[in-house]
This record gives sequence, structure tokens and C-alpha cells, in this order.
Amino acid sequence: MAFLLRRVGFYVAAFIVAATFNFLIPRLMPGNPVDIMFAQAGGTLPPEALAALKETFGFIDQPWPAQFVTYLKSVFTWDLGLSVKFHPLTVNEVLLRALPWTLMLVLTSSLIAFAIGSLAGILAAWRRGGSFDSIGAPIALMMQAMPPLVTSLLALFLFAIYWPVFPTGYAYEPEIDPGFTLEFFCSIFKHAFLPIVTMALAQVGGYLITMRNSMINLLGEDYIVLGTAKGLSDRRLRMAYAARNALLPTVTSFAMTLGASFGGALVTEVVFNYPGLGYTLFQGITARDYPLIQGQLLIMTLAMLTANFIADVLYVALDPRLRKG
Amino acid sequence: MRGLFNTLLANRKAAIGAAIVALFILVALAAPLVAPFDINQRVASPHEAPSAEHVMGATRMGRDVLSQTIHGTQTSLIVGFAAGLLVTVLGTAIGVTAGYFGGKVDEVLNLFTNISLVIPNLPLMLVLAAFIGQTGPFVIALIIGLTSWGWGARVTRAQTLSLRQRDYILAAEMLGEPAWRIITFELLPNLISIIGFNFIGSVLYSVITEATMEFLGLGDPMVVSWGTMLYHAQSTSALQVGAWWEMAAPCLALVLFGSGLSLINFAVDEIANPRLRTLRVPAKVLAALTNRTSNQGGRA
Repeated sequence: MAFLLRRVGFYVAAFIVAATFNFLIPRLMPGNPVDIMFAQAGGTLPPEALAALKETFGFIDQPWPAQFVTYLKSVFTWDLGLSVKFHPLTVNEVLLRALPWTLMLVLTSSLIAFAIGSLAGILAAWRRGGSFDSIGAPIALMMQAMPPLVTSLLALFLFAIYWPVFPTGYAYEPEIDPGFTLEFFCSIFKHAFLPIVTMALAQVGGYLITMRNSMINLLGEDYIVLGTAKGLSDRRLRMAYAARNALLPTVTSFAMTLGASFGGALVTEVVFNYPGLGYTLFQGITARDYPLIQGQLLIMTLAMLTANFIADVLYVALDPRLRKG
Repeated sequence: MRGLFNTLLANRKAAIGAAIVALFILVALAAPLVAPFDINQRVASPHEAPSAEHVMGATRMGRDVLSQTIHGTQTSLIVGFAAGLLVTVLGTAIGVTAGYFGGKVDEVLNLFTNISLVIPNLPLMLVLAAFIGQTGPFVIALIIGLTSWGWGARVTRAQTLSLRQRDYILAAEMLGEPAWRIITFELLPNLISIIGFNFIGSVLYSVITEATMEFLGLGDPMVVSWGTMLYHAQSTSALQVGAWWEMAAPCLALVLFGSGLSLINFAVDEIANPRLRTLRVPAKVLAALTNRTSNQGGRA
């Protein structure tokens, strides 16, 4: 419990640092971003948006510390102002619309990659130097070097353009009404399939290698020898003794990979025109929609911190030593 | 140092990886000489398919894709190595300082390292690039370097913490050697494999990240690099009109160069951790384990 409380303290600190960055970045850049944005937007920016912008960013005629307090207040009340690109909508509404899609992509692909990668890693380590290990490990290595950008472009070209079995964009067919219908879910599945597969492919190699290496290190430990001497079954030795402990470093790397997969999701979403957070951030950047961009960074950090917290809880559940301390 | 180099070359994975990377460096250095066409000239018809004359086809502007890829190697590699170097230097400096001094210094530095690890990198970089506005290759390298040092710092710190307990470090401290001397002459040489691993990984990461940022339209579109090639291909709907070669060429370069670097890294990992070697005779325990597995059928 003490461990988890300490972690929560750390996450609050991390969030405040991220929020501070968000505050400082536009202020440290040359020029006043609100004026620049107004100039760039030409006539498309309604005056009330400009006023809202100034207010949200805390660009008021006050010294920085006072601006910072106003800004922090708006962050903690999650009042992120109006979006420029999606004008009548607030940043909150834009983010809320996009968040579920990204969460679905990131969670599904990460869990699939985690399950497949870890199991393959266990197998590779158990019969090290065997045919599975000698083919699987180098392939995993190559896949790790494949940027998500390349895999998603390849998947888009092969399975959506050249051989169009999957759609090239959106989260579901626009003519289908969203609701609890089979048709709607099939459409979601069809549209999410390629993004999820490419994101899982990008991660699976990493899990295989981490699991394989930590298993191999563990197989040399004395307690495994003892287990062997006691005549424990192979299966039990492999799963309950070696794999359970080898999972610990993988759980931490799971949390780290979740962060990377938010980045991966961003690229995949842009390639597949998938309406998640990443694609929205991309739209925000091309439209110089600064309030949206800033809100994005905050919500992505928050999602990342939540993912890490879940990994912490899992870690405590897997490692009995942490429960006492 | 020479010993490490020889071990690396004796490892087949490392040798292949090094050959690939060396080839790319050569191509980058000799780009103007080896590129068959001027990259600013219209030398083919728009979206011309690969042929004997234009091995990788042409872009919508009728520019030779192979020549662009060759010239792009220069920018991509310079940014990759510069950003990779910055990431490594920052990570090593922060990690060693935290690990060696311990106490308050470690607490503060470690807190910042951990925080930098939980803020999503790519979104942060995109936000920075968006606010800076004009982002050429140099600025991109700087952004990557400043945001991505966390992993290296964490690994270096962990290793420094364990080295710090060794007798020879204590001995040096007893002799009254100044901290900077202990760090540069006693600690850093023993951290070389971790630093090398970090550097190679960071170069790979930087090359990919640069390409990604430029693909998303945050680079300078006038610069020719693998990333801007992908950006132009995307914005002219190259895939949709079937001109796959415009995407394929920079993608292939990215994957090949990346594979070269990760082969070297994989080999460094094997050398640093002998248990991971596949070709060596496994430790006694593992031999016993495999014997047991093959005998078990008979016993049961």
C-alpha cells in the first residue's frame, strides 16, 4: 500500500511538471502565440475564440506567477477552452470524442502483443537454440526495427488499396447509425482491424525479446535447479517458477510500451485516418489549434500515468515482496 | 577498446549490421557522386513506374526517387547521429551524476528522469515542434535530444549504482581523487558497453522519429530526407494512385538502416550478457534441464 501511495505522489508530481511544460512552451517561444495564431487564422477565427484563448492560456496582463495560478486552476478544473479548428466545440468535447477510439486501439493491441510476445518468449527461452528460438528471435528483432510508420503504410497499401479488403479510413461506415447493433460493431471491427494489427506487430517483438532474455537469466538460478532436483513437472517449472518471475520486468516494460504505443497510435491513426487522439492532434497541429494541442498533451500524459498506475498495481499483485514493504 | 571491436567483428550478427551501417554512411558521404540524377530537376514523367533508367521510379513532380533517397540518407543520418549523440550525452551525464553522488542529487535527478519517462514522447515533441514553427533538421535533432534522454539516464544510473560499491572506486575515494576524475577515468570506461548500446539505440530511434515528425508535416518540406519524401508522397496521394515506389524507397531505407543498427545492438547485448548467446554451449544447469526433458518420456 505504501508503495502504491508513493507512486500516486509521483504521478501527481509528473502531471504538474507536464502541465508546467504546457504553460511554459508557448511563453518561451518567440512572439505571442495568441497573436500569431490570430494572424495565421486570417478571418476564420471568431473573436470570441480569441478571447477564450487568451483566458485559457492565462495570457492576461499579469506577471507570470499570477498567470500560472490562473492556468493551473483551469487545468485542475479541466476547463481547456474552445477549439479553433472544431470551433463551436470545446477542447473537452473534441478530446472526449476521440479518446475511446485511441483507448480501444492501444489497449487491444498492447494486450494482444503482450500475450503473444510473452508466450513466444517463454517458448524461445525454454528451448533456447532450438528451431523456434533461432527463427523467432531474429524475426522479433527485425520487427522491432520496423517503424510503426512503415508497417502501417505497408498494411494500408496492401490490404486497403491494392487488395481492398479493409477500409482506408474512419472508425465505422458513416451511413451506419451508431448504436448497439451487430452491423455497427462489425463495422467498428473492420475499421479497427488493420490499425490494431499493425500496432500489435510493432510491440510483439519487444515482449518476445524481454521475456526470452529474462527467462534465460532466471533459468540459471539455484531455485530452478532445486525444482529440477525435486522432480517438478516441466510445465510447472516453466510456468509457475520461471515465467512468473520473468514476468516482473515485462510488466514494467508493458507500462513503458504503453507510452510508446500512444506515439505509435498517433502515427497509425494518421495513416489510417482513424479519428482517435493522435489523428485529432495531427489535425490540431495542421490548423495551429493551440488550445487543442495543449489539451492533447495533458490528456495523453494523463492516459499514460493511468496506464503506469495499472502496471504498478499488477506489479504489486505479482511480486509478494512489495506487499509487505 | 580494440578487444571489444574484435569481439564485435567475430560475431556474425554484428558484422552484418556493421556492414549495413557502413554502407549507408558511405552512401551519405558520396551522395552527390552516386545519385544518378539531379534531385531538383524534372527528369521523368509524373509518377513514372520503376524502370531500368529510374530504378525506383519518379515522384509526382517527375523527380528520380532513387536519387532523392540517396540524398535523403545524408539528412536522415546526420539528424540520427546528432540527436543520438545528444540523447546519449545527456542520458549518460544525468545517469552517472545521479548514480555517483547519490542522496539529494540522485533524488532530484531520478525524479526528473522518471517524469520524462512517463510523459508521452512523440506527442511532446510534436507540441514543441508545432510551437517552434519552422523546424529544420537541426531543430528536430535538438527536440529529439532534449526529450528522449530518460531511458539512457535510467540504465546508466542503475549500472553506476552497482559499480559505485566496488572496491576500486572506494580506494580511489580514499586516495582523495576528485569526483570528476573518478567519473571520467574509473566509472565511464566501465560503462562503455551500456553507453554504446544506448547510443546505437538512440540513433535508430532518432532516425525513425525524425522521419515520423517530417511525415506528419512538421519538418521543412524543402529539405530532402526520408521523412519529407514520405510527406510529399502522402500529400500527393502516391499510394492511392498506385505509385507505391515513392513510399517504398524511403521505407526500405529506414528498415534496412534500422535492421543494421539493431543487429549491432543485439550482438552487443549478447557479448555483454553471455547467457544470452545461442551458439555457445549452455551453462551446466541448462544442459541438465534439456537432458531431463528428453529423458522424461522414458521414465513416465
